[in-house]
Amino acid sequence: MKNRIKEFRAKYNLTQEDLARKVEARRETIVFLEGEKYNPSLDLAYRVSKALKTTVDELFIFKEKK
Amino acid sequence: MKKDKTRLILMAVLTITLLIGAVLYGFTMTESEKANPGNIISFLIPLILVIFMVFFIWRRYKDIKEGMPLEDERSKKVITQAAAKSFYFSLYWLLAISWFESFFADKLFGLEKLDAGQVIGGGIAGMAIFFFAFWFYYDRKGKLV
Repeated sequence: MKNRIKEFRAKYNLTQEDLARKVEARRETIVFLEGEKYNPSLDLAYRVSKALKTTVDELFIFKEKK
Repeated sequence: MKKDKTRLILMAVLTITLLIGAVLYGFTMTESEKANPGNIISFLIPLILVIFMVFFIWRRYKDIKEGMPLEDERSKKVITQAAAKSFYFSLYWLLAISWFESFFADKLFGLEKLDAGQVIGGGIAGMAIFFFAFWFYYDRKGKLV
């Protein structure tokens, strides 16, 4: 799923490790999230959004399959 | 964090136990001159597993030192998928071992028939190798179901 995690992370000057610690996830998870290779659970999506001071809708771009 | 460290210590203890078992088996093998291909494989496979475990534990130890959790939702999914895939592959592996041992071992290759312990040991070792291989693949690949 497309997302703006890297953009928001840069805005707050956070490394991937910093974000991973904030959301209690592993660094690889953040790497795969940013690389759009992993779709997070609602719980993780919410925690990442909260850590980046935004909303899930702002952070993740959901495209309906046609 | 303390729970993660405890789990890592348990993994290390299991790995050391496996290593000691493999080494002792190697000694008894050479003493009794039972070094045939089946026994050699029985000795080597646990050593390969120990290498995998040492690599895995080292990576996780570095993560704990950096304040990372030992596991999260993605790592749990990786383990679940690796376990599921390795289960299916292991079924075929066990069948292959039993067929090989029953029909081909002595007739085609002139090998001594494997005893039950070696067959079971080979089966379990194969299951473990499949699991670690799939775990490595899914951990790197990223795209999980």
